[in-house]
Amino acid sequence: MNHPILVAENITKRFGAFVALKNVSVAFEAGRLTAIIGPNGAGKSTFFNVLTGAFAPTSGNVNYDGHDITGKKQHEFARMGIAKSFQITNLFPQLSVLENVRVAVQMRHSRFQLLTPRQSMKGLIDQAEGLLNLVGLSSYSSQTARDLAHGQQRCLEIAMALACDPKLLLLDEPTAGMSPEETLVMMDLIVRLADQRTVILVEHKMKLVMGICKRIIVLHHGEFLAEGTPDDVRANDEVKRVYLGQSI
Amino acid sequence: MTDLNLLLLQTVTGIALGSVYALLAIGLSLIFGMLTVVNFAHGAYFMVGAYIGVYVLSATGSFFASLLAVFFSTGLFGLLTERVLVRPLYGRGPDYPLLLTFGLSYVIIDVIRIIFGVEGLQSSTPAALQGSVNIGIGYFPIYRLFLIAAAAVIITALWLFIEKSRYGLIIRAGARDPEIVRILGIDVAKVWLLVFGLGTAIAGLSGVLAAPIRTVTPEMGIPVLVESFVVTVVGGMGSIGGAVIAGLLVGVVYSLTALYAPALAELSIFALMALVLVVRPQGLFGREGLME
Amino acid sequence: MEGAPSRTPYRLIATQVSRHRVAAVIAFLVVLPWLTPSHALAANILIFGLYAVGFNLLFGYTGLLSFGHAAFLGSGSYATGVVMVHYGWPWWLAIPAGITLAALIGLCMGYLVIRSRGIYFAMVTLALGQCVYFAFYKAEAITGGENGLRGVNVETIDLLGWKLDFQDPITKYFVMLVFVAAALWFVSRLLASPFGAVLESVRENEKRAAACGYDVARTKLLAFVISAAICGLAGALRALHLSIVPIDSLHYLTSGQVVMMSLLGGMGTFFGPFVGAATILWVEDVATILTKSWQLVVGVIFIIFVLFFPRGIWGSFLHWLGRR
Repeated sequence: MNHPILVAENITKRFGAFVALKNVSVAFEAGRLTAIIGPNGAGKSTFFNVLTGAFAPTSGNVNYDGHDITGKKQHEFARMGIAKSFQITNLFPQLSVLENVRVAVQMRHSRFQLLTPRQSMKGLIDQAEGLLNLVGLSSYSSQTARDLAHGQQRCLEIAMALACDPKLLLLDEPTAGMSPEETLVMMDLIVRLADQRTVILVEHKMKLVMGICKRIIVLHHGEFLAEGTPDDVRANDEVKRVYLGQSI
Repeated sequence: MTDLNLLLLQTVTGIALGSVYALLAIGLSLIFGMLTVVNFAHGAYFMVGAYIGVYVLSATGSFFASLLAVFFSTGLFGLLTERVLVRPLYGRGPDYPLLLTFGLSYVIIDVIRIIFGVEGLQSSTPAALQGSVNIGIGYFPIYRLFLIAAAAVIITALWLFIEKSRYGLIIRAGARDPEIVRILGIDVAKVWLLVFGLGTAIAGLSGVLAAPIRTVTPEMGIPVLVESFVVTVVGGMGSIGGAVIAGLLVGVVYSLTALYAPALAELSIFALMALVLVVRPQGLFGREGLME
Repeated sequence: MEGAPSRTPYRLIATQVSRHRVAAVIAFLVVLPWLTPSHALAANILIFGLYAVGFNLLFGYTGLLSFGHAAFLGSGSYATGVVMVHYGWPWWLAIPAGITLAALIGLCMGYLVIRSRGIYFAMVTLALGQCVYFAFYKAEAITGGENGLRGVNVETIDLLGWKLDFQDPITKYFVMLVFVAAALWFVSRLLASPFGAVLESVRENEKRAAACGYDVARTKLLAFVISAAICGLAGALRALHLSIVPIDSLHYLTSGQVVMMSLLGGMGTFFGPFVGAATILWVEDVATILTKSWQLVVGVIFIIFVLFFPRGIWGSFLHWLGRR
């Protein structure tokens, strides 16, 4: 086993009386493509939001690279090398596709530079163009982000997440709402990205992740249910029970 | 009179002032909670309420008639505003309805100036409510006691309406998620229309109730708007209870500062607001994340 | 838009104007005194245009709607006036004093207001603006209270032996224009800088900006302070222009006025604030002669723009040019 890059310890999250996560402990290995799956209401998205710092857990903590990152502010995550894509597309809708990525790239270089023209910072533009190329959006760089097709917007979001050169990339249902063709393109992209960094994927459609992930974590009713390779998970009786009637 | 009695009397004065604040904040909060519209014309509806109230009172001599007239006229006026001006702006982000009601307040103020003149009206306390009465700690104006009672009655009625009635259930559900209301097969547009009208009607009622203790001028709504914002920020939007307690708190803080340091009275409520923002940014009773 | 291929002469003009936006605005301001019925109106447009530029930095570019900006215009005026009247500072030192006080008040207000979220912003800025109004109103010994601060007089300006008559309206206008031009250059550079990109990203999507690694609260605070400082400069110039500081400078209506100017002109455009300031002040000028109800006229125009032309005059014009 590789060393764990992200460790969730005894995570519990309550919303009022409702317990969304119950004492979940998971260690994510570095360099692996791991998926978090589970039926509707399993607590996947809540878990994702706790891992990425959008929600503070009611109890428990999250460690990244040996440091406790529970309760860190949102912007600190990107600076530590943790990037995410949202479940609902989240872009800068009125800016151009290139500018969306350029702003994201700029974070590591210049946050409070007030008087240098940004057009003169060629290096940033080149990096942004490189990322657009990677996700297959080069020919759309001057379009306004909100005019892109849904699948392209999701790809743009990934390019923005990559801009901070993350060691860890978390994706929340990256193929949600996509056509079958778009889904294939996205899956291919995710596999390529996982070559160079740790990727954690929250997914509803189990079939998708079985083929590409090395490791799968199953949540059910807010609790940890199973963990293992796709084959382990397929063979697991508990998992079969909760996914009753579905072919795994 | 002992110092303690003076302090207590001034506290009751603050409660009278605060009960008007509470009414205003409830109206504001109701509209916001449902429609995510910050009604910048809230002070203007307050002023219109005061004008109509004073006019009807002097014409009919009946204070009760003036209350009814104000409730229905400012309510109707609110319905018209929502239907004609605010509705086209839904879906364009919360800034636009806000800007619109802001522009509307300019128009309302000038229309009142044209109808009633720039000087303002002489408002008199209804005959039956004049004079003072000993409330154990000293003499206190009857009208202000009436004000507290009237606000309490209106707030209780609203609370019953929202917490216990079928319509109230729809309003509460809609404030959390308009989708739910739509799924239940209820016409959301109609609910929003009525809530806007109810909110402005309450603003109008606050105006007519406050008229005898304030000067009735076309500009009287401006400080009132500011004060109701302060109350809303202190209490946090979202609950009637929060608005009532914050309203009373702001009223009492104002009155007590006016007693001990008159020059700082106006500033005291802002200091209170600043303190709340530092200690508890979502307001004393606000739910976190409601405004996002 | 910039650098886009220009196929038609309209687009060519639009591209050239946006590329040289500072020069274009200054050219307009240079000829303005000969376009307006009075020099006083031109000076007013100059000052309120700058005030709207400062406001627009926050509203148009960062997406934060403040209803308390009179606090910055007013405190800029008062600080400039007070150091001249009470302490005998020269005018050129009094202007930075105005900018500094406005920026400091901006820092305090900004600290409080960024703690509140979303729609609270407009309410909290309005309330804090009113708080500043009362504070200056009550400090009568220094500020003159209700009567305003009188005697902010500048007779002549001595530039290394070259004496300019500051009482001459045209000379006064062009002296002020020098400061306005410098501020415009600064704002234009700021908007073109990486920080300008961060402002836009915060306006477009706060959550995403934070996920990209930007500290949204600090960005907003800095934008708030810079905006306040620019409005403070406008206030300082206004004190010199009027020779008095009226208490109205701090009033809610003065905060509202800049909101109207910004929207009417075109929020998020560089020239829009001046178009908005010119329109509102012109309408006020004409309407006050014809009717007492100029607020009614302005209010109705504003409502029509909110409903039907949210891009404002200049913004709609640019949009039209872009589609030709």
